Amino acid sequence: MYAFLCVVSFFSVFPLYWMISAATNKSAEVISGRLIPGTYFVQNFKALMANQDVGRALANSFKYAIILTLVSLVVSSLAGYGFEIYHDKAKDAVMNIILLAMMVPFVATMIPLFQMFSTAGWLNSTIGFILPTVSTPFLIMMFRQSARSFPHDIMEAARIDGLSEIRIFFQMFIPTMRSTYAAAMTITFMNAWNSYLWPKVIMTDATSQTMPMVVANLTQGYVTDYGMLMLAVLICTLPTAIVFFCLQNAFAEGITGAVK
Amino acid sequence: MSKPSKKMTLNKKHNLMGWLFLAPGALLILLMSFVPMFRALMLSFMTGVGASMKSCGLLNYTRMFKDTVFIQSIKNTFFYLIIQVPLMLIFALILASILNNKNLRCKGLFRTMIFLPCATSLVAYAVIFRSLFANNGIVNLVLVKLGILDAPYSFLTNMWSARIVIIIALLWRWTGYNMVFYLAGLQNIEYSVYEAAKIDGASAVQSFFRITVPLLKPTILLTAIMSTNGTLQLFDESVNLTDGGPANASITMSHYIYNMSFKYVPNFGYAAAMSFLILILVAILAFLQMKVGDKRD
Amino acid sequence: MKRKILAALLASTMILSLAGCGGGSSDSAGSADTGAAADSGAAADTGAAADTGAADSGDAAAAGGETLTVWCWDPAFNMNAMYEAEKVYQKDHPDFKLNVIETPWEDVQTKITTAAASGDLSTLPDILLMQDNAFQKNVISYPDAFVDLTNSGIDFSQFAAGKAGYSIVNGANYGVPFDNGAVVGCYRTDVLEQAGLTVDDFTDITWDQYIENGKKVLEATGKPLISMQAGECDLIMMMLQSAGASLFNEDGTANIVDNDTLKIVMETYKQLKDSGVLVEVNSWDEYVGSFVSGDVAGTVNGCWILASIQTAEDQAGKWAITNMPSLVGVSSATNYSNNGGSSWAVTANCQNTDLAFDFLASTFAGSTELYDNILPSGALATWAPAGESDAYGVGNDFFGGDAVSAKIVEYSTKVPSNITGVYYYEARDAVATAITNYINGSSIETELQTAADTVNFNMGQ
Repeated sequence: MYAFLCVVSFFSVFPLYWMISAATNKSAEVISGRLIPGTYFVQNFKALMANQDVGRALANSFKYAIILTLVSLVVSSLAGYGFEIYHDKAKDAVMNIILLAMMVPFVATMIPLFQMFSTAGWLNSTIGFILPTVSTPFLIMMFRQSARSFPHDIMEAARIDGLSEIRIFFQMFIPTMRSTYAAAMTITFMNAWNSYLWPKVIMTDATSQTMPMVVANLTQGYVTDYGMLMLAVLICTLPTAIVFFCLQNAFAEGITGAVK
Repeated sequence: MSKPSKKMTLNKKHNLMGWLFLAPGALLILLMSFVPMFRALMLSFMTGVGASMKSCGLLNYTRMFKDTVFIQSIKNTFFYLIIQVPLMLIFALILASILNNKNLRCKGLFRTMIFLPCATSLVAYAVIFRSLFANNGIVNLVLVKLGILDAPYSFLTNMWSARIVIIIALLWRWTGYNMVFYLAGLQNIEYSVYEAAKIDGASAVQSFFRITVPLLKPTILLTAIMSTNGTLQLFDESVNLTDGGPANASITMSHYIYNMSFKYVPNFGYAAAMSFLILILVAILAFLQMKVGDKRD
Repeated sequence: MKRKILAALLASTMILSLAGCGGGSSDSAGSADTGAAADSGAAADTGAAADTGAADSGDAAAAGGETLTVWCWDPAFNMNAMYEAEKVYQKDHPDFKLNVIETPWEDVQTKITTAAASGDLSTLPDILLMQDNAFQKNVISYPDAFVDLTNSGIDFSQFAAGKAGYSIVNGANYGVPFDNGAVVGCYRTDVLEQAGLTVDDFTDITWDQYIENGKKVLEATGKPLISMQAGECDLIMMMLQSAGASLFNEDGTANIVDNDTLKIVMETYKQLKDSGVLVEVNSWDEYVGSFVSGDVAGTVNGCWILASIQTAEDQAGKWAITNMPSLVGVSSATNYSNNGGSSWAVTANCQNTDLAFDFLASTFAGSTELYDNILPSGALATWAPAGESDAYGVGNDFFGGDAVSAKIVEYSTKVPSNITGVYYYEARDAVATAITNYINGSSIETELQTAADTVNFNMGQ
């Protein structure tokens, strides 16, 4: 079993290793396929700092990803809870309709959405950045599916104790579903962090560049500096990896303590 | 006599509470997705270059069945769907149940490592995969050294190997992602159930099929619908790994729709019509999956 | 507390719904004085909160009379050129400022399309850099989004005709040419030497001679002469243009099935590949890697490729450039062509077109100083007076002391002009598919017919 896990992990981690070693090599060495870490890290770092405003991009990315994740979790988990705990035929039907919303490629709805936002005066604003992805069918369904395992007897007991419905949600459901929240948070953070097309279309300031935009900028010139590019990619990857590492215990170490 | 009527009002109250809970999320989806979708639907009955559009009835919908490139892209996309989604979900489920074992050491490390691929930014992922499968890349190097190949094979420029590389890339990138949902879902199953099964003499394989799979059914349904949707809208891999090539052998529907909107002379009506075909296809598949999987016991 | 959050959320969705229902067309935030307004006028605006001002905070219009916003994408290259142009212009106009926003080309295209299709041009900059191959498509699709520069005071006659031709749509100039894409043949002199050849054996030759020489190099060193990205038809397009041929006719119809030049080009390409002189690689990274690592003895591409070649510092002094081989059996064949390159376009969102015209006229179309300053970054002019400057005659040690810049400018004046075509990208992709299948054994007639069908299908919207 360990051998199996080690093999799987090796394949998973190899590209990350490649990225790290590429970030320490010269561009010409990277495309010649050099796999051993080199000594060019400092030069790549200096070149990247001179070329792009990485600090600002990181700050922007964190700002948008954190706001989006928090708002999105509240809105979507409320909805998922509402769909499951109070389910009836009408709500199940609405849920099915909501699922349709994710089935059309974004490129097809982007221009009408842009039109709406331009009418509302939300181009180039934080609200314009986050609003389209605050509520996603995916997250709602995720919370709906996991609310299915929220024990009904606990709810009944709480109701008899006189807790209001909204307090049951905040005081019972959220702590019980810690693992679902942690998983949802990881995924939402990652998606928000990596989002590119919509932010690019709606944000026009140079000052609102995010980390993925910095990475994209670096791939555009007539000459690509692969060492520098991979360093930027590494910086762009780390936050999600760290978020995952910090949250993985929360979503995988069980919540049995909370359900008693 | 007063009891049933009180129950009625309580039910009504709960029903209303439910609507209040889901209102913000549902309203946002209505505005952010359905309003633009409705406009796209209107657009799909129109044709024209750029800003000058005129009504054309169902022309765009009949047109796509004469479009050889689009038909090729449908075939490619379904090939990915049929091979990749089941493989990935089974693999993710196995990994999740192994990593859920309480006695396993370094669980956190393994989990993080297996999750890492989907945290990797697209640019790096594309560059890495292209270089792995390059003519002088590591894959060729190893296969030639082992004597399996005589000379380097050009993986990304041959039809079937290009498609298989895309499937490998998808598996690599998304297995860990799906594992996350299974791991989270497994936490809602009391661990003592497994211990009891063990005492009763059930093997690991038996408890996997008799406990894990049935109890994870809601989550499996979720991931199945999401992966089906994701694969039918597949875009990144086709654009960044093979650019749809060789000779459109690996192009996906979304990639073609994107080209139609932004690379070629923009034909939004046609692009919208093709997008609604995707909606119909995903909706049918999701409906079938719901029929099988979305029962409350 | 929680109720308040809920209430706030509800309120915000309500506002949104009002705004969303506001109407099909958007108000192009105060840009009524330019052509922009014409194209948003489809439906009467119901007025809902359109002019909140937030919409155009990114564009220069709000920033007053002396600032221009520019989109371009390469800090070392075209962005640098803009900064230098700013300095040049500031000498006479001290209050002048440029706001250069780094925007990759694909995003420039996406944003043009989105803005123009939505009828809200307020997100566009004053000036943007556009790929030459995309001019016809964008100007024909969105004529209201760009400004006609024909009578702007810019003298287009001083630009190489082949280059300026890309941005001429229906007889009007829409772009100020920027970088040079003249094709150069690049060779590793040390490798050629091992086969008893010099770069002179590759000057003014035909592709037949190229293949002969290539076989000698392959025999002596085992190295191919050239690598190309499979599935991309850069070389095909370069060969076509070297004979002044194109995939379209004057009237805009596709010229594929009976295009004899195209047939010769495809046959030549197949011979190159079959002889082993040309090796196909999977991606752009691999293509650059193939000569940077020394696995391939040269390349043929737009002159901007020299920047990539020069990243192989260990190969300094071992490279030489000359013109490209010519097609055999085509009467109009030459040894000159073009690949890539871009030009500056002025958008309809520009509030101060006089300033933009004057800026471009006195920099990219009027300043040898600017072109001298940006020469070290590899930006070669297509503006004739710049090529006469002394800076262009200075030798480059990487290429054995050769005056590379002067040579390329000379090449660029000899490039035959051809028709880009509005459906350029469609045709290009169709031909790329044709060549892939042809190499794999399909017949040239079948494949050209399929390619023509695909292009005609796309043109019949």
